[in-house]
Amino acid sequence: MANIVIRRRLALLFLSSLLFFTCLVGRLFWLQIVKGAELQKQAQENRMRDIPVEAKRGDITDRNGRLLVTSVSAESVAAFPPQIKDPGKVAAELAPLLEMPEEKLKELLSRRQAFVWLKRKVDYHTAQKIRKLRLEGIELYEESRRQYICGSLAAHVLGFVGVDNQGLLGVEKEYDQVLRGVPGRIVIEQDAVGRDIPSALHRFYPPRPGDKLVLTIDETIQHFVERELDKVVAQYHPASAVIIVMDPKTGEILALGNRPTFDPGNWQKAPAEVWNRNLAIWQIYEPGSTFKIVTAAAALAEGVVRPEDHFYCPGYIKVADRVIRCWKDGGHGSETFAEVVQNSCNVGFIQVGLKLGKEKLYHYIRAFGFGKPTGIDLPGEASGLLIPEDKVTNLNLATISIGQSIGVTPIQLITAAAAVANGGYLVHPHVVKAIVSPEGKVIKEFSSQPVRQVIPTQVARELCKLLENVVLKGTGVKAYLDGYRAAGKTGTAQVVSPKGGYVPGKYVASFVGFAPVEDPRLVTLVVISEPQGAYYGGEVAAPVFKAVMQDALRYLGVPPQEGLARPTKPWYEQVPESKPVKVPSVVNLPVHEAVRALKAAGLSFVLEGEGDVVCSQVPQGGATVNAGTQVVLNLKATPEGGGAEVTVPDLGGLGVREAAVLLEKLGLVLNPEGTGIAVSQSPAPGERVKRGLAVKVKFAPPELKTPP
Amino acid sequence: MFSRLKRSLDWTLIATTLLIILYGMVAISSATHATSPSVSDPLLYVKRQVVWVVLGWTAALALISWRYEELARYSWWVYGGAFLMLLAVLAVGHEALGAQRWIRLGPFIFQPSEFAKLALVISLGSFLAQREGKLHRLKDLLPVFAFVAPLLLLVMKQPDLGTSLVFVAITVGMLYVAGAPPRLLLSLVGGGLFLAVAWVWAHFRFGVWIPMKEYQLNRIIIFLDPWSDWQGAGYHVIQSQIAIGSGGIWGRGLYQGSQSQLNFLPEQHTDFIFSVVGEELGFCGSTLLLLLYFLLLFRGVRIMVEAKDTYGRLLAAGIISMIAFHVFVNVGMTMGIMPAAGIPLPLFSYGGSSMIVNLASIGLLENIYRRSRRLLF
Repeated sequence: MANIVIRRRLALLFLSSLLFFTCLVGRLFWLQIVKGAELQKQAQENRMRDIPVEAKRGDITDRNGRLLVTSVSAESVAAFPPQIKDPGKVAAELAPLLEMPEEKLKELLSRRQAFVWLKRKVDYHTAQKIRKLRLEGIELYEESRRQYICGSLAAHVLGFVGVDNQGLLGVEKEYDQVLRGVPGRIVIEQDAVGRDIPSALHRFYPPRPGDKLVLTIDETIQHFVERELDKVVAQYHPASAVIIVMDPKTGEILALGNRPTFDPGNWQKAPAEVWNRNLAIWQIYEPGSTFKIVTAAAALAEGVVRPEDHFYCPGYIKVADRVIRCWKDGGHGSETFAEVVQNSCNVGFIQVGLKLGKEKLYHYIRAFGFGKPTGIDLPGEASGLLIPEDKVTNLNLATISIGQSIGVTPIQLITAAAAVANGGYLVHPHVVKAIVSPEGKVIKEFSSQPVRQVIPTQVARELCKLLENVVLKGTGVKAYLDGYRAAGKTGTAQVVSPKGGYVPGKYVASFVGFAPVEDPRLVTLVVISEPQGAYYGGEVAAPVFKAVMQDALRYLGVPPQEGLARPTKPWYEQVPESKPVKVPSVVNLPVHEAVRALKAAGLSFVLEGEGDVVCSQVPQGGATVNAGTQVVLNLKATPEGGGAEVTVPDLGGLGVREAAVLLEKLGLVLNPEGTGIAVSQSPAPGERVKRGLAVKVKFAPPELKTPP
Repeated sequence: MFSRLKRSLDWTLIATTLLIILYGMVAISSATHATSPSVSDPLLYVKRQVVWVVLGWTAALALISWRYEELARYSWWVYGGAFLMLLAVLAVGHEALGAQRWIRLGPFIFQPSEFAKLALVISLGSFLAQREGKLHRLKDLLPVFAFVAPLLLLVMKQPDLGTSLVFVAITVGMLYVAGAPPRLLLSLVGGGLFLAVAWVWAHFRFGVWIPMKEYQLNRIIIFLDPWSDWQGAGYHVIQSQIAIGSGGIWGRGLYQGSQSQLNFLPEQHTDFIFSVVGEELGFCGSTLLLLLYFLLLFRGVRIMVEAKDTYGRLLAAGIISMIAFHVFVNVGMTMGIMPAAGIPLPLFSYGGSSMIVNLASIGLLENIYRRSRRLLF
């Protein structure tokens, strides 16, 4: 053959093989690069044929290793229908054990599926019985169920899990990846769908259990907190209450509790707003006087004021064109800055705040961590509310200085107080101390290094002394601890209405403080929203602080000191109730009625003698005295024979039965008309009448009154 | 003698062959990783493959040391042997997967149709060498068809449509090199293809009788529309494309492909081994393999061109056609651009008969190279 022909043929051969080669590479390119993502997804869907098996979720313990949350194993029953020869027989055997209808089981077992769950998370005994049956094609796989050992203890810290053991709130959510572990799987070959397959068609890859969490929470201190919260609820029926206990040097949260609360094991039974709001980090409230700690720290650090500087409080201060009143009528008069702090004097703090100016005050507000989340390792933290610095007026500046026109969260406030307690360092609050592997190896420890220094240590020490005086001789005497030097600040703020302005008659009582002052071990914040009956922070919150701290310090083995200074004045002398009131006449009233009337008028009382009815009183009804004055009530036994004449009591507002009892005790007879409460009577109250006379009383159904 | 042998061999061809074989063993180890019948020995298939490779190189060495011209003298013996073996398959063959393709010989099961391919190359080479330059008309080709037909029909009867098509490819390739007019060959192939399509179409449309089994027809249908029966006949094709596609550029890593490891791929260590490479080593790994084949075939073509005589040239042409057709149809099948023909990837798929025959073919190529024109210098 001619050379030229060979060459032409070779060229053709080369070209056609190049064409084939390009064809193949082109197709590769199309499948792997152009359609790659889509086919990858299909491959994944193929793999979905394997059934995931939950890993055992990691335990949660307190800082001392006491178990708070654990997972108990619960086995799940699965079937491989292609291996079951007689579904009817197997269903009959399993139905009573699984407490399922036989028909339903038979249907499940006859499905044209490679795998079905029959029942998930059965109890141990059921699982054992099923195992003993040794049924072919029926298998048990270990799963787990979450158990909250201490009921609702620290519910908002722990959080809870959903049906598939996925963390939904609290550390369960925040550390879900850590706790979850790696799920195992039961792999079923794809070919099982209507294909000829050998019998060993499934394989079990065991899951890897999750890691354990060691919290900073101390179970015992948490118990103290829960106990005090329950007491507060029983006594004051508040809208909500929060207590946080923290180590001021490390930022470790030792206890954190909210009311209302829930049981993490039965979280579905509580309303959503109870479990999805961790008030300690979510609630935004006006801190009121507790915020004066920040104003004082800023002023001392900037050298704007010294503790011995003199102030004068006339009872009000004019800022812009507005008059802001001090909480004490008539004012505190002449006082040093130390006394301004001690008395929580609004006028003094406003003067200090105005002197600081908004740049400096805002600098410290931010430095103390307000206006943004503290970064605590719990989900759902709020930032608080700050008026933007460029929009702050002098009036705003004045009110912010005394803790109004600013919204903070409890965790922000306690973190700021901790900075004063520990010598000026802002710490990072956290609830998890370490992550530990199932084998017990520490995987990660969370650092307790301070974030930054906010105020010089010297200034912090100075402020501590001033705050100690609040407890010794100021508004916080009810926070006084036996054997420990405590420092703190009370706060009473009004509840801000969502519509703007304040809600009349609704208050937030709070107290933040720490002890021992010389080397603070604990800082505690108590926030009680809308307490009923009393509302001063010094009266409602300070005793709670005392109760928690006293027990916690003793529990921690902090040695109590002997011979410490005691508060100089009892609390009630500090009460600024100096309004003149008229003393009501309570003569001839039953004791409980008399006490009610006096309390309503803002008076206190002392009882003398024995008996059910008031015989006489000092001062007399009608006299004008200062609010809070004691009225002495002389009691006498039920009158018997004595005088022939008695004074007709005021029956207004009494029920039929009450009126009858009262009149009978006085030797009078009730002549009732109608039902309900007494609206009119004859003879009129105060008239002197003969014993045995019938008093005509008209009763009518009470009108519904809305509370003020 | 040995140093002369060293100098006179095409080492690039040998190196390429070795690389393909080693690459194949890695792929087989991954493909059988999860499905090995012996749990204690996950490398069972790889070890067996090593045995086939050693046997194959022995056969290659034997074919290198002979003078290939001598083979022409035995060509009728070779042809007769292949014919008898294929006849024996039909008589005493071992049946598996719905076809009768294997013969049991002691502990071994071997596939005569694989050996018949090489036998066809050797015998048809000598048959065509005498007719070179005298193949201009269809009439001239008829004796050639008569020569090939007995072997081809026996393979078809097994039934093994894929391998019988390899016979066609070998014949066409050798005819082309022997000087048959390209136009004639092209119209024959085209006409045959058209006839086949028309027959299949007529079968489905009018129920005309067709010499194909049900599953063979299915393969054609699913090639056209794999999703028509995705859980049944289309399953292989779809899973294989999903596997290759999910490999992306770099692949999912050896032993990491879910399609292969979780057994979604069928015949993954034999016919669908390329899918494993595609899934686990991606576009890069697959292209590398194709490049190795390209290099192998390129060296083959050079040997063909430089062969010292017509017989050598024809032998080389037959071998190249055989390997090229295998690669193209097998790889094309895994990617859904060729119907599922059920033929292995040469030097790569697991399997004894195929490995021995392909290595023997490489040996034959080396033989032709040794005696080529270059050595005259």
